[in-house]
Amino acid sequence: MSAKQAKDIKEDKKARDNGLISFKINGRVVQGREGWTILETARQYGFNIPTLCFHPAVKAIGSCRLCVVEVCQNQQARVVASCVTPVQAGVEVLTDSEEVRNVRRWVLEMLLANCPASRQIRELAKEHGVTSTRFKVEHPEDACVRCGLCVRACDQVVGVRAISLGNRGIYKEVTAPYHQRSTDCIRCGTCLYVCPTGAMEQLFAQVSAA
Amino acid sequence: MKNDVKLGIFLCECGGKIGGRMNLADLQEQLGREPGVHHCSIHSYLCLSPGLAEMTRLAQDHGLNRVLLGACSDRIMKKKFANEFKDLSIMPPQVDLVNLKDHLAAVHDDDPSELTRKAMALLAGGAASLGKLEPYAPVLADFQGPALIMGGGISGFAAARELARRGMESLIFSDAQSPGEVLAGLPRTYPGNRLYFRDLEAMLQEVFSNPLVKIAPDQPVEFVVGHVGDYHVGLQQNHGGVSETTGAAIILALDREYAGEKAWTIGGVGRVIDQLELEERLAQKRMKPGRVVFWVNHREEGRRAQELSAAAAWRNSQVLVQEYAEMRPTVLYPADIRLPVSGSDLVEARRRGITLSPYSPDIHPVVRSGYLAYVSPQDHLEHEAGWDTLVVSAIPGEPMAKAQELMRCLPIFSNNGHSLQKGPMALKPDQKPVESLILTGSAMKLCDLDEALQEGKSAAREVLHLREKARKGSLASPLVVVSVDQDLCEGCGLCNEICTCGGVESVAPGKGPVPRHVSPHTCDGGGSCAAACPYEAMKLLNNSSQQLEARIRAILSRMPENGVLGFVCSWGGQGAAELAAVKGLSYSSRMHLIPVNCLGSIDPAIFSMAFLNGVQGILLAGCPPIGVCHYGYGVDHTWHRVYLMKKLLAMCGLERHRIALGYVDVNQPEAFVNMVDSFLDNLDLMAPLEPSEDRKNKLLAAHATMHRPRVRWVLGVSLRRPSEKDFPGDQYNAVDFDETTQDVLREEFLAARIIGALTDGSRNPLDIAQALGEHTAEITPVINELMHDNRIIRQRWEKGYPIYGLAKAG
Repeated sequence: MSAKQAKDIKEDKKARDNGLISFKINGRVVQGREGWTILETARQYGFNIPTLCFHPAVKAIGSCRLCVVEVCQNQQARVVASCVTPVQAGVEVLTDSEEVRNVRRWVLEMLLANCPASRQIRELAKEHGVTSTRFKVEHPEDACVRCGLCVRACDQVVGVRAISLGNRGIYKEVTAPYHQRSTDCIRCGTCLYVCPTGAMEQLFAQVSAA
Repeated sequence: MKNDVKLGIFLCECGGKIGGRMNLADLQEQLGREPGVHHCSIHSYLCLSPGLAEMTRLAQDHGLNRVLLGACSDRIMKKKFANEFKDLSIMPPQVDLVNLKDHLAAVHDDDPSELTRKAMALLAGGAASLGKLEPYAPVLADFQGPALIMGGGISGFAAARELARRGMESLIFSDAQSPGEVLAGLPRTYPGNRLYFRDLEAMLQEVFSNPLVKIAPDQPVEFVVGHVGDYHVGLQQNHGGVSETTGAAIILALDREYAGEKAWTIGGVGRVIDQLELEERLAQKRMKPGRVVFWVNHREEGRRAQELSAAAAWRNSQVLVQEYAEMRPTVLYPADIRLPVSGSDLVEARRRGITLSPYSPDIHPVVRSGYLAYVSPQDHLEHEAGWDTLVVSAIPGEPMAKAQELMRCLPIFSNNGHSLQKGPMALKPDQKPVESLILTGSAMKLCDLDEALQEGKSAAREVLHLREKARKGSLASPLVVVSVDQDLCEGCGLCNEICTCGGVESVAPGKGPVPRHVSPHTCDGGGSCAAACPYEAMKLLNNSSQQLEARIRAILSRMPENGVLGFVCSWGGQGAAELAAVKGLSYSSRMHLIPVNCLGSIDPAIFSMAFLNGVQGILLAGCPPIGVCHYGYGVDHTWHRVYLMKKLLAMCGLERHRIALGYVDVNQPEAFVNMVDSFLDNLDLMAPLEPSEDRKNKLLAAHATMHRPRVRWVLGVSLRRPSEKDFPGDQYNAVDFDETTQDVLREEFLAARIIGALTDGSRNPLDIAQALGEHTAEITPVINELMHDNRIIRQRWEKGYPIYGLAKAG
């Protein structure tokens, strides 16, 4: 056992005594608490993990899969969405491994095909070196990723549930009930603010109250 | 109270989005030196679990009771942060957010030192506002007494039955005092339901015999006051007095009466009848034998009315075949309506010999003596239906006369004179008062009997839900409501007139100068009434003018010479400004945004105070005024206040357009940035305001003028009332009114300047005139007026001139 490992084990024990959960992110020992997610702990320690459908004001649902990280334990590794994965003692989290970068690029490439009209998505993809997509672009005017962040914010932040996700699967869309302009909408603009792709700007006129 | 303030400030780096743009360490040090700040710290992400845990721990360790966060948008994040502090008994109003991200870091291109300066100004403003906060805890409502069911509609009985079944008392005001009387009147409001009379009678019997239901004779309503859990209804009595009844909730069961006059234009008196006449004949069993044709006409009344008419015709045909065995009625309905019958109904119709046939709505049927000619949509051929009695549709009329009476006392209004509505309240659930006035019946929306009964039942459920909430102790008033200082209130009633939510009411029923108070369970906290009060007796609790004033003073003292204030309404300007940040737009850091819930809540004296404290210009960005203002007429009212300020600016020798009102939709960030740029460009064309003694005195006088009850009254006259449908700029006598306002303002402004000139010591009129740079002849009448009002006194005579001084009591 090297001196470093011995130090790690000692720190780990001390932390556990304080109700802390010790694990590693990119080789650095970090401490979280019960109820924290990997994303939250990583951000606290300054590790950058890109997100789209995550917003601190609402409950995370791990829908966009952009926040994936690799969690290694007992010689096994799995790729998980960090925004919904709770911290776990003793694991090694990699936020920028080859595997993670690969998954992220795939996600971005699919997003580019799915919502090509979004400036934010294009910029994010470029940051990760993705500039084109191999998938078929069927709706070049579409900017929405269907992450439902607007729907969750309307419910959890505002408390009015004016908009919802209509249909399922590839037909999923953000809409007000019955495709009518919502009578519950109070035009507070929360959905506009949280939308990660700017799609709500176009959708707002269709779903908001007159 | 003030000594107890323990303020903690938490600054969020937001992963570099804020921390990377300004010097937070410097801010922390400056804020730590501010008086009253007990704690200040920097965190990487306040909004995530680690940051929240750290922040609440620090708040607890330092025993904080006010928390200011230098972070992001309060519209989005306030709820989450406020929830974290609830366990520490720090209530939501004691938590405030300054949006360092969207109002600063993301929208300005300036260097970090300028951003740090501006952040310091905004945070100091937030701290000053929290320092002035007098926390007000929402009031819990009691829920005692019966549900009051007014209006006399049939849905009220359904509500009463549901309430009685669930063990709640109700009191119905109704002209009908027995099931039979209710049923006798029913065809006028819901024609064509004779088929169900037996079931209805059973329901009514249950209501009338239930000891939990009291049925009182209906009397003209004199007043309705109170709020959820505690309503007082005054009814005029026959002997002239007024009796008062109390209840926990009000269900308004209002129907509309059908009219039949139009049937007579067809002619054939006695043979062509409408549905109402048919009802009478059925009741009196005097139907003439022969062929009966129901013709669903009156297309102009709309599809819904035709559907209801068709349903009534179908049910009455069934009554006809039941009671007159030989009858074979025909129902002719337009092909484009949804006939409210099922497949089994059609089988039943065939079995009983009732014909249901559609007619093509494109070609109007033609009435002939004994025949009705129509075109069938099936074969496009002309057909004839022979009749001995032709029954045409009755016409749905206006809401019952009772509605007019109730509209005077309750916040309901008539939509185009056709249907009744409650005032719209498009607010967040925690801003909204509990809705305890429930409207049911066809006066709101044309509906069938079963729908009305269902509405009544739902209304009862809502009342029971409120009772349940009250039992759990969660029937609370909104956090921000208006309150009236009874000692200052003169009972002028201006607030009453401009109130849109119905929260303002007289302390005691009556007319004339009765002091007002605000029911916290009805008030929506818009606050235009408070900003309008001539005697400044009203206050927005948890969001007072004093707080806003403290915030502005703190910001202005840290503002650069060319800085401007921007009041943004959280529904329009603020939303657009924050969206501008999301979209990566930018504007000048001279603009210091101050979010307010509604522009209408800003007292006009705030404007004069800001100019007095050296601001170069004020921009107000509200929401689009037509149809969208969440508090009725907030922007409308602000418009008039801004005009008044413009007049005063001109009197002080300043440019009128140093203050400007604009509006922007929440989804128009570009328009907001445009507005800011344009305002600043206009401002740059004016010479900067150099400090001068003369201007300061004039602005002092302007500020005093804004506080004068007379000025505020004249301003109040121009504010739009909820009863006014729209407020055109070219209203009656607009020019004359404006000139009168100008005269009043000039007089009061001069009076304020004279008083200002006398503050340093007593003077004679010549001295005063010289000090003010006015002619003696101009000021003499004003001096006399001031003497008359005992605001100044003649102390002595010197060298043949009177020497005036301030009256002791001010």
